[in-house]
Amino acid sequence: MTPCASIDAKIRKQVEQIETTPAIPAVFLPLLKLLNAPPEQVRLEEVVKLVSYDNTIAVQCLRVASSPLFGLPKSPESIRGAVISLGLRRVETILLTCCLGQVLPAKGLSLDPTVFWRHSLGCAMVCRKFSEKLPGADGEKAYMAGLMHDVGFLVNGLAFDKPFARAIEHAVKEQIPLVEAESATMGFTHCETGRALAEKWRLGEDIIEVIAHHHAIEQSEKAQPLVALVHLSDLLCRMRGLGYGYYERQKVDLAHDPAWAVLQKKYRDLEGVDLERFTFELDEAVANIYELVSTIFGSNAGGSTPGQN
Amino acid sequence: MTIAAQTAVAKPLPIKTGQPIDPTFRQIRDLVYKVSGIFQLEEKLYLLADGCGRRMKQLGVRTPREYCDLLSGHSSREAELRQLLNELTIGETCLFRSQPQLDALRKVILPELVQEKAKQVLKRLRIWSAGCSTGEEPYTLAMNMLEESEGLLKGWTVEILATDLNDRSVETAKTGIYGDYALRVTTDHFKRKYFSPVEGNKLEVRPEVRKLINFSRLNLQDTSKMLFMKGMDLIFCCNVLIYFDGPSKSKVVDHFFSNLNFGGYFFLGTSESLLKLNDKFHLVHFPGAIAYWKPSLKSGKL
Repeated sequence: MTPCASIDAKIRKQVEQIETTPAIPAVFLPLLKLLNAPPEQVRLEEVVKLVSYDNTIAVQCLRVASSPLFGLPKSPESIRGAVISLGLRRVETILLTCCLGQVLPAKGLSLDPTVFWRHSLGCAMVCRKFSEKLPGADGEKAYMAGLMHDVGFLVNGLAFDKPFARAIEHAVKEQIPLVEAESATMGFTHCETGRALAEKWRLGEDIIEVIAHHHAIEQSEKAQPLVALVHLSDLLCRMRGLGYGYYERQKVDLAHDPAWAVLQKKYRDLEGVDLERFTFELDEAVANIYELVSTIFGSNAGGSTPGQN
Repeated sequence: MTIAAQTAVAKPLPIKTGQPIDPTFRQIRDLVYKVSGIFQLEEKLYLLADGCGRRMKQLGVRTPREYCDLLSGHSSREAELRQLLNELTIGETCLFRSQPQLDALRKVILPELVQEKAKQVLKRLRIWSAGCSTGEEPYTLAMNMLEESEGLLKGWTVEILATDLNDRSVETAKTGIYGDYALRVTTDHFKRKYFSPVEGNKLEVRPEVRKLINFSRLNLQDTSKMLFMKGMDLIFCCNVLIYFDGPSKSKVVDHFFSNLNFGGYFFLGTSESLLKLNDKFHLVHFPGAIAYWKPSLKSGKL
């Protein structure tokens, strides 16, 4: 799926210009830097300071932290309290969730942000849940990878809106995966545009691999198990009402996907994963994800609410 | 054009507010899952609580804890679980019960089967509704197949076998007469096209639908009869296996596997699972639905 050099240059040029887009919270990039640092070097005070810097973000974070998805029994009353009871890593992912929620303008793009964030959050959550079943896997990193994997759709929406709108139209009409429609109509996909943005933002190497290769795990060299985990979680979300809001004529055989074999090589216990139960538990979380997305976007979210679609 | 949030799959239901659920019911949910493969979603836990409540009343058990102990006890477990499952699945059936299953069938599976079998001389599809109860499922399948008769299935013969253990259910199924409750999610399009009004404000399935179906009585545990059910492309067996104990269930599922053609599919109820009873089937996901697939020979994945 490597685009030719001229397309690559075009993507990079467009991504450079994204700088001026509104609403990237000031804490976002420093936060990403922090997330890339080894956990033992991250200081609690630094995180608290970053969050308190932006009042809107702080309020949102507290709301998000009290969602059942993050498993806190009682809504935290202060950022400090939240950091202590949730643990630093978990707070980082919550922060990232909030920040990213503000990157995309809520209206006027070919991509419905509500649908996009439901998918991204859903995938993040499935990645974390999935990695809980794999001994030694880093759940918070998996969450982050799931959250960011489709960031290329943001770039498409911001820098290639018209061709992307045609790709979406094609996908909906043919009921095919969006990535196939992108290839067919634009000649490049969110994997390339996402990679360009991720490199510009200097995201971690592993996350860049996920963004670039989650639709073609065999191309991943450095972080194949993580890429495989995101690939499978992405597929499962799209099969359980957390896709892009249209019917994909697809049959998905998770346990016989090449990504499954990659995970099995690293985590022997994979045989013990009860995929059916995992699926039913995801269904249970769908309502929470819908709620969390409307928490992040407020009433301006557009799109529909559960039960109305 | 915008991707509207028009998902036709897995719509989350509103969570029933009110009294918090006794955590014991989650434990009972896990017990039920472990034995039957039926998973009661969190938002439907109150249904489980209601069902348990009715059983507790009949048994004179006072607390959910006590009832949970009863369900965990070795001697009482099987019988009581069966009773509880009865409570949980009562009145569940209706026509068009699982739209995501039907979508998977028409949008993904049929095109695949038609393509795979295109080279065969006999263009025939065989579908088995195993445990058809009062006929809602086989009629739903028949109508959906008829919808494709001028398209995908042009020139194809469709045979639907509908069997149930219960004689009375089979007799009722044959009449093909349904009231509002059974038809509560059937669209006007299907009502107009495939039913005629009859006495008592009910609707009767038209002969062209009925013609596709063969009803008979069959015990899924009758090995000699099960061996005869050959050449199936699709088997539907919804909320039936939950009543079987582990070994019998495993035996029936093995039969289903050999009853199916290579490349065929086996569907359970929407929140039901096989609990790894058979490792030859592949679990496959479609939007909003899961099924078990007997890999085709050429896929080399057996």
